[in-house]
Amino acid sequence: MSASAIFVLDLKGKVLICRNYKGDVDMAEIDHFIPLLMQQEEEGMICPVITRGTVHFMWIKHSNLYLVATTNKNSNASLVYSFLYKLVEVFTEYFKELEEESIQDNFVVVYELLDELMDFGFPQTTDSKILQEYITQEGTKLEVTKTKVPTTVTNAVSWRSEGIKYKKNEVFIDVIESINVLVNANGSVMSSDIVGSIKLKTMLSGMPELRLGLNDRVLFSLTGRDKGKTVMMEDVKFHQCVRLSRFDSDRTISFIPPDGESELMSYRINTHVKPLIWIESVIEKFSHSRVEIMVKAKGQFKKQSVANNVEIRVPVPSDADSPKFKTSTGSAKYVPEKDLVLWTIKSFPGGKEFLMRAHFGLPSVEKDELEVFFLMSIDFFVRYMKIIEKSGYQALPWVRYITQSGDYQLRTNA
Amino acid sequence: MPYLGGEETVRELKRALSNPNVQAEPLRYRNTVLRVVRAMSQGVNVSGLFSEMVKACATVDVVQKKLVYMFLCSYASLNPELSLLVINTLRKDCQDPNPMVRSLALRNMSNLRLPSLVEYVEQPLTAGLRDRAACVRRVAVLGWAKLYNLQPGSDIDAAVVNELYSLLRDPDPVVMVNCLRALDEILKEEGGVVINKPITHHLLNRMKECDVWGQCEVLRVLQRYRPQSDDELFDILSLLDASLVSPHPPVMAATLSLFLSLCADLPAVSLAALERVSGPLLAACGSGSREMRFTALCHIQLLMRSVPGLMGPHFKRFFCGYAEPAYIKQRKMQIMVELVNDENVSMLLDELKGYCTDVNTDTAQAAIQAIGHIGRSYSDRCLEILTGLLGLKQDHITSAVVQTLRDLVWVCPQCSDTVCSALEGCEETLQDSQGRQALLWLLGVYGDGVSSAPYTLEAFIDGVKSEVSLGVKMELLTATMRLFLTRPAETQDMLGRLLHYCIEEETDMCVRDLGLLYYHLLKCGIEETRNVLQGRRSDPSLGVLIGRPAQPISQWACSFNTLEPLKKGGTVTQTASRGSPEHEASKPKTAVELPETLDCSTISPIPLFWKCWRLKLSVV
Repeated sequence: MSASAIFVLDLKGKVLICRNYKGDVDMAEIDHFIPLLMQQEEEGMICPVITRGTVHFMWIKHSNLYLVATTNKNSNASLVYSFLYKLVEVFTEYFKELEEESIQDNFVVVYELLDELMDFGFPQTTDSKILQEYITQEGTKLEVTKTKVPTTVTNAVSWRSEGIKYKKNEVFIDVIESINVLVNANGSVMSSDIVGSIKLKTMLSGMPELRLGLNDRVLFSLTGRDKGKTVMMEDVKFHQCVRLSRFDSDRTISFIPPDGESELMSYRINTHVKPLIWIESVIEKFSHSRVEIMVKAKGQFKKQSVANNVEIRVPVPSDADSPKFKTSTGSAKYVPEKDLVLWTIKSFPGGKEFLMRAHFGLPSVEKDELEVFFLMSIDFFVRYMKIIEKSGYQALPWVRYITQSGDYQLRTNA
Repeated sequence: MPYLGGEETVRELKRALSNPNVQAEPLRYRNTVLRVVRAMSQGVNVSGLFSEMVKACATVDVVQKKLVYMFLCSYASLNPELSLLVINTLRKDCQDPNPMVRSLALRNMSNLRLPSLVEYVEQPLTAGLRDRAACVRRVAVLGWAKLYNLQPGSDIDAAVVNELYSLLRDPDPVVMVNCLRALDEILKEEGGVVINKPITHHLLNRMKECDVWGQCEVLRVLQRYRPQSDDELFDILSLLDASLVSPHPPVMAATLSLFLSLCADLPAVSLAALERVSGPLLAACGSGSREMRFTALCHIQLLMRSVPGLMGPHFKRFFCGYAEPAYIKQRKMQIMVELVNDENVSMLLDELKGYCTDVNTDTAQAAIQAIGHIGRSYSDRCLEILTGLLGLKQDHITSAVVQTLRDLVWVCPQCSDTVCSALEGCEETLQDSQGRQALLWLLGVYGDGVSSAPYTLEAFIDGVKSEVSLGVKMELLTATMRLFLTRPAETQDMLGRLLHYCIEEETDMCVRDLGLLYYHLLKCGIEETRNVLQGRRSDPSLGVLIGRPAQPISQWACSFNTLEPLKKGGTVTQTASRGSPEHEASKPKTAVELPETLDCSTISPIPLFWKCWRLKLSVV
């Protein structure tokens, strides 16, 4: 691993906050980072690793910040990137939005976090739930922290503190699937997969033991038993609280949940999905440098279901002007700063077909890729959720299923 | 707080810090300290407040302590004498009943990075190793590593090393992992922490308790272990099997790395491991983070050096999305070129054709070159696409196509007829020097097949005075000479003019010398000239794309899961300083022993089959 120092920079390259962990790379090296990045950007050859002499900068960008790790070792790249993303995750959990302003407003907490997250270039405590116990946060909390020793330091269950109390005991389960599709200009699906996750919001007292029952289709595909009928789930990740040994032996997902929000599991299904919303587009060029784009959208899902907030983005050339639109439903508008037409449909019932026509002047239309964003609900697979706690209180589980578009692109011919 | 000038701020803060009234009120005192640290992170030089801050350190307020320590660690190296004063407070804090305070003090004590203070730090660190709170032990263990890092070459205290080895059995997994890290640092000279059989088995059993970072560390350290028997080896391998397909890409990569090092003598097992990780690696290619995707792609390229067909069935996974950054697209194209076979060639070419009109010119040019590479095996289809692209009349596309055609003709001489007929009219759209050089080379070598070649050259010669690119002028000279040999009647007059210009008027010595050389060559007679200028027109041996022999895994195993694969072969567009194809010289690839530090100058940034392009005078 061994990162030598971590920097948070604003877009102009000013160091907002930095932490020197090892002291083997000159901290002034960071001044070369932005000029090098700019140079690469000009040459169109941006790369997530920038090297200057023996120093390597590994960087990621988050909103209006650059997070940069420097090292002079041939260190493990994927681990460094994972750590930088972990930083983003932890900071976001603390400040809601991670951006320049929140760093400046909370620089003390950021320093404290950087101190706990890494020592001597090695990641230490990175679980945000545990971190919260180490971080003194605001002055008002001071008196408490002075006497209270963090329970998790010695605790067997590192992700949950003891003695949590709620008046009303509830669990919210969100099953969120996002669909990534890439469709060719001639209408064939080039690649498609589904990325799903189960999110929990736990508001339960004590040390509850939860058991989640999934339906058989999911179980079989998780275990890869019934290969013929079901699709394999790839890349299944569980939160560290899930007892994997238990899952291996009798296929139940049992766990002591972390308090508050957490992601219980995530998975990917790499399968040939029928695109839920099918788009056809015709681009007609008329002689007097006028162009008409016609987009037809069809909902290819059950009649009872409804997709909400569908957005269809049609890229147009930057020199397009005088847009005119006609839609059978929803509204279309031209977003010149992003060079696209945005067609929004508030609710899109299954099996329906809608049309949009757009006229433009003077464009030189080339190849486009349409992007579609939507949100809808589907039927899914949680069978039961059992909550067992010593005191035996009543608790309510709530389940919600959402399907949303991930990277949903359809190509068109010019 | 209004931003005052640096000095003004420091003076005001100094006054506030030494004001007894402020010191008496904890909250006000802390706010003043906070302002100091804020000024520090804004880049104001507040080192003048060091002694006041040392005093502020003696407080019961944890927040204030943290702030002051932060300040002290930043400025300690500027004030070594004053830092001595802090040591007392820090040592007192190391006795605090609160483990948080103890670990905080210990960490900052070892972060001061002052060699003069080492003797005061050793004792609390020793005590810290035996502290009952895990968080203190974690800090103490790494503290020793910091201490040795501070004075490299100092004597290693055997008692400490023994203590650290025994802490490998600490109940806290982070302490255990930190011990590995610390021992590695302390025993750097002797090759790092020694891994014997009991330690290996202990680490393997404890791995489940560790977080992702810890697991990667353990897996990395275990690479040093050599199992004593095959049975033991296979026991270890089956224990690791679960983490080989771990959903966390870093863990998966670290496990594979360990597999490859354990099975260095068992190629069949290594290959099976590669097959097994192909799934998780592909999953990592679809990861949400662009950097992780990029890393995964680079590592797939490494794997494919040994198992070219590994990703064959999944070629569609490497199709580029619209919004992906150029560096990912270019890597994906490199992989797609490698995956081409009879079944998928038309799909891959269709896909690549789509990228040729990408808004990013580098991506577009990379796509064109990728098609050129596939052309070495499937020349007809690729030529059709490439010549079609010329019709777009976009200067960057035409330039890349002409360069690609030149490279293609060099390895596949049978394409020359098609290429010759496509060249007509290109010169109007060509803007950049690379593209014009390629065109000139083609006109020189295949001028007999292009009817308009003399007219094109004439236009170049007429404009030679205003030509700025050295490469174009040199190429123009050679091309005119070559054309003169095949079509003397049409070229003689313009060659005379060009030579006259180069020898009499040109200021650049390279061009002038080349002109003189050709002039004297012509004096020696036409046969002599022919011998020198009409060398080889092609080298088909370079063009193998399919059926390239697989490299042994050991060639790249040592660089797997490091930074190195990310730096290699950064782009397909190696357009900088490139001459004609015959200037190419093969450079033997030496297997460099991987150094701990990565020096990029030793790594050639050129794709394998490209060898090395050198700019030199071919004829001299």
